[in-house]
Amino acid sequence: MMAENSYLSPDAKLPYCRGCGHALVVRQLSRSLERLKFPPRSIVLTTDIGCVGLADSLFPYLHTVHTTHGRSTAFATGMALAEAVSEASGLKPIVMIGDGGAMIGLLHLVHAAQLNVDVTVLVHNNFLFGMTGGQHSALTPLNLKTATTPAGNWTPPLDLLTLLQASHAGFLARHYATDAGLDSAIAEAIAYPGFALVEVLELCPAHATGLNQLTGERLKEIVARQNYVIGRVKTETDRPGFREQYHQQLRASPPRKSPPVVEKPTAEASLQAELRLVVAGTAGERVQSAAAMFCQAALAAGLHTTQKNDNLVTQGSGFSLSEVCLSPRPIEYTGMENPDVVIAVSQDGLNELQANGTLARCGPDTLLIVDEELAVPAFTGRVQRMALRRTAGPKRAALAGIAAWLATTSIFSPQAWEAVLSKLSEERRRETSEALRAGRQGVASSRRPL
Amino acid sequence: MVAEGALAAGCRFFAGYPITPASEIYEVMMRELPARGGLALSAPDEISALCYCVGASLRGLKAMTATSGPGWALMIETVQYALMTETPVVIALVQRLGPSTGGATQGAQGDIWLAAFSTSGGYTVPVFSPSTAAECYELTLQAFNWSERLRAPVVLLSDKEVGMTAEVVEDTALASPDVIERTHFSGGHSYVPYGFARPEEVPAFTTVGAGVKVTVTGSAHDQQGRLRKNHPEVIEVLQHLERKIEAHAAAMELARPDLDPDAPSLLISYGITARAARQAVAELRRDHLRVSFLQLQTLFPIPRRVLHWALAGVRAVFVAEENLTGQYRAVLAPYLAGKQVVGINKIGSMITPAEISQALRAAVG
Repeated sequence: MMAENSYLSPDAKLPYCRGCGHALVVRQLSRSLERLKFPPRSIVLTTDIGCVGLADSLFPYLHTVHTTHGRSTAFATGMALAEAVSEASGLKPIVMIGDGGAMIGLLHLVHAAQLNVDVTVLVHNNFLFGMTGGQHSALTPLNLKTATTPAGNWTPPLDLLTLLQASHAGFLARHYATDAGLDSAIAEAIAYPGFALVEVLELCPAHATGLNQLTGERLKEIVARQNYVIGRVKTETDRPGFREQYHQQLRASPPRKSPPVVEKPTAEASLQAELRLVVAGTAGERVQSAAAMFCQAALAAGLHTTQKNDNLVTQGSGFSLSEVCLSPRPIEYTGMENPDVVIAVSQDGLNELQANGTLARCGPDTLLIVDEELAVPAFTGRVQRMALRRTAGPKRAALAGIAAWLATTSIFSPQAWEAVLSKLSEERRRETSEALRAGRQGVASSRRPL
Repeated sequence: MVAEGALAAGCRFFAGYPITPASEIYEVMMRELPARGGLALSAPDEISALCYCVGASLRGLKAMTATSGPGWALMIETVQYALMTETPVVIALVQRLGPSTGGATQGAQGDIWLAAFSTSGGYTVPVFSPSTAAECYELTLQAFNWSERLRAPVVLLSDKEVGMTAEVVEDTALASPDVIERTHFSGGHSYVPYGFARPEEVPAFTTVGAGVKVTVTGSAHDQQGRLRKNHPEVIEVLQHLERKIEAHAAAMELARPDLDPDAPSLLISYGITARAARQAVAELRRDHLRVSFLQLQTLFPIPRRVLHWALAGVRAVFVAEENLTGQYRAVLAPYLAGKQVVGINKIGSMITPAEISQALRAAVG
């Protein structure tokens, strides 16, 4: 009967083939845990898919998480990340993964190293997929014969440690499963307070040795040809672990809550029916922010609004467009089949209104406000040309256009804008007030009434 | 509002990867979660994002990620792992036009099957579908509650038009269901990680790292979490995964019915299209056409009770959804036997109220 503070039973029946390196790693892991005197409940053994994944059942008192292929490191990282905001429990995730899992889950290893989470990874590198019949992996040496490279592997093997070195891993080592010092190396890796990985080189007696007359000596020759470092690899050992880095960050720039603000109406609205507006211009010319300010003003007047924006995927070039619904009641459908007002303040915007079919969908009652610099397209509704860009400037033309149209209506009182202006910086407030004024004056000076 | 709902539900872990139209949830969580004692971080891909969430949930934190169709495709492996390991986690899936990368900034309701039928074995993954910003808040809270209560992954299925439209929310009208926590094991030393007396019971949860040993596995296992082959208890555990959802199906039903008991027609919709449908119904009723309307907020498990109620006495059923093949209509088919069934479908842009009312007028004559 094992004691609850023990790890691997000395007489445990291991499920591996005779001569398999996995058995050696499991015993050395147990020995290293005994040496570190880690309480079994402070360890979570996270096992991958493959023969390596049989290890969890051998450690009856450790927490065990048996995962999907290659993802063991990611699940362990999630558990380690949670430590940063949990009451410190000192949980130590140890990942047991093969060379196949290391490759399919390579990104997880790279990111765990970058984050420097307190996770120890033991890569059981037997150069092939053992459980599925000995297929070659990304870590198979050149010329090695496997079930899927019968003439010998011709793809150069990945040097995992070099790759993780470049990913800022804090502790990296490589050992043969037969190394006398393997338990010390594993213990050192586990004790390291950040990302640590030990690659253990093994023989797979079921699939590698027979086909290749592979012996321990031959393995060492192959490894020497690959210029693989045995022992510790030089790393950035002075990086703080994730938990410490995270709390340093929080101290350096303490986060502040910004919950949604409840706005109370401060102005009157007289809008009775739903109203739909499209404003279109050029990206970077504050089209969408003009529409957002308009919605905020409407909100201050107690109206319901919806706003949708559109632009090219690159976001900083081409057209920029907003579609706004306004209603005294909650708005159901938010589309723009037949908008009441369309404002085009640049050629990009006008082109998009034509391309996306907005102009074609408009009826005789739609008012189209177009900047005077633009050629007026064929349009079934009413058209008003205005000097928006010239009088307000390109970056205020959209807001001026909205203000020009608003000045001809009484959907909400101009007082509603105060709520918007009061939230802006002094400079933006001045600019915005000027744009609103330019729009209103534009109406006053236009020759024909809107 | 998904992020606000998650914060209100007590979400303490978020891992994200940018994708239109779900990135705003990610950004808000990155900004707000640290200020509330939680951790939000960027993952190197969607697979890692959900794995991190599951890992954090195993450590006892309520966790969420947000993505769209292409990211969901990558997450399905880990959704199944969460299901098999009975780990609570919420995935906000903001649909966009597919297949493949499709249209990043175009809405769609094309991921119904992909969300619900993503598990080998066809196990039920609960799916809630909001149609407004306010419903995003309420249903995210519900998604967390059911995820915790059932120890299961839950999907909050919205779309670009719901997720990326700014709208006024009346704070007084916001529904805030009570927050539910997962049941923690409190029975001393003999913890059975997947233990249940009756198959519909949800096993008590214990944090990995707590005082009792926890065994977690995505492989077919017995109640202790041991891998067993051809053992009846393993089959019982698998049956239990479905039974625990099924047993709570009635309690999970959320819908906004607007029924006219004498109407011969029932219009069913969900998500963004429910808004156009509601408007169409108002127009039809103004013209004295009698029609019932049912907006479903719980899509899976199929809300059979409310359907049964809404379908009583109805001769024609219209199902409006923004996809090509009538995905939810197909799901409902077994419940619509003997009735005239009309699909109102479209892709590329929102279904309009006019398209819905025309379909109803044409059928009713």
